[in-house]
Amino acid sequence: MSYLTIVTGLLGLISAFVFFYFLKFKASTKQTQRKDRIRWSKYIPYKNETPVGDSEKESDDAKFKDN
Amino acid sequence: MSKHHALDRFGRSGNPVIRSAAFQERVSGNEEKMSLEGAVNKTGILLFLTVMAAAVSWNYQGPLMTLVSSLGMFVAFVSGIMTFGFYFFFVGWLVEPRPHNAPRAAPVYAIGMGFFIGLISQQAESLYPGIVIQAVSLTFFVAASLLLAYKTGVIKPNQNFLLMVFAATMGIFLTYLANLIYFAVTGNNFFVLTDNGIVGIVISLFIIGIAALNLVLDFDIIEQADEQGAPKYMEWFGAMALVATLIWLYIEILRLLMKLRGR
Repeated sequence: MSYLTIVTGLLGLISAFVFFYFLKFKASTKQTQRKDRIRWSKYIPYKNETPVGDSEKESDDAKFKDN
Repeated sequence: MSKHHALDRFGRSGNPVIRSAAFQERVSGNEEKMSLEGAVNKTGILLFLTVMAAAVSWNYQGPLMTLVSSLGMFVAFVSGIMTFGFYFFFVGWLVEPRPHNAPRAAPVYAIGMGFFIGLISQQAESLYPGIVIQAVSLTFFVAASLLLAYKTGVIKPNQNFLLMVFAATMGIFLTYLANLIYFAVTGNNFFVLTDNGIVGIVISLFIIGIAALNLVLDFDIIEQADEQGAPKYMEWFGAMALVATLIWLYIEILRLLMKLRGR
């Protein structure tokens, strides 16, 4: 095994540890409190388990008129 | 308050009403919420499954394993489409994203891709010893660097960033698709994709750059889903997205290292 492979292997181990360790932490407020964030819920319909198109369709509910 | 007291008191019974927005909200209100820790654990589980499948395919090379790997890649592709959907320029969603499929699709994806990368890694290692350790290490190095850049707010993904990365990713996908058709017809690959000269290396670096920027989008999906109290299955969705990008990044880094070593 070459010296280069050992060095990159060590770098990989440290990087993997850093990756899994910091993934658990919340991002800084500089990242999370922005006005121009991507609105993922617009693209990924995780709110009510219906696909993007279905959520935009009109409801089948009967419309009762309140007087 | 409406005059329909019975409706107010008991809710609208009957199947159509169960689909009402209020009901859905109540269901999602009682649901278990996702957490960052859960997404990390699921990423670990998926990577473990990928490595296990890769180890099997690495150790049992042969025509049968080549078939299993091809089948694995196909199954992984199908589970990817079932979860992430399929969007095409000017057409829209051909298959809509269904994140609630992720808990079932993600392990299938990880194992299927594991068989495939085990096969190509073993072939690369037999040509250039030590290359797999270097590629895995560089993949984690790039991922960790971008994670730190994202968490600290150095890279701030916005709508323009998303459009740019998405357009570039679709461009790469179409190039690979065209290459696949060209290969099926002529038996050759596009010169620029396999060339180990300056052009080929610059193209590889560009593709690695786009794959790396896709990681930033994955981090943002996980972070935002956690903030908004998304359902538990979004942990699998985020982990699957992350693992899919890591596998793509690994394959591209392996290709780049092979080009560099083949010069």
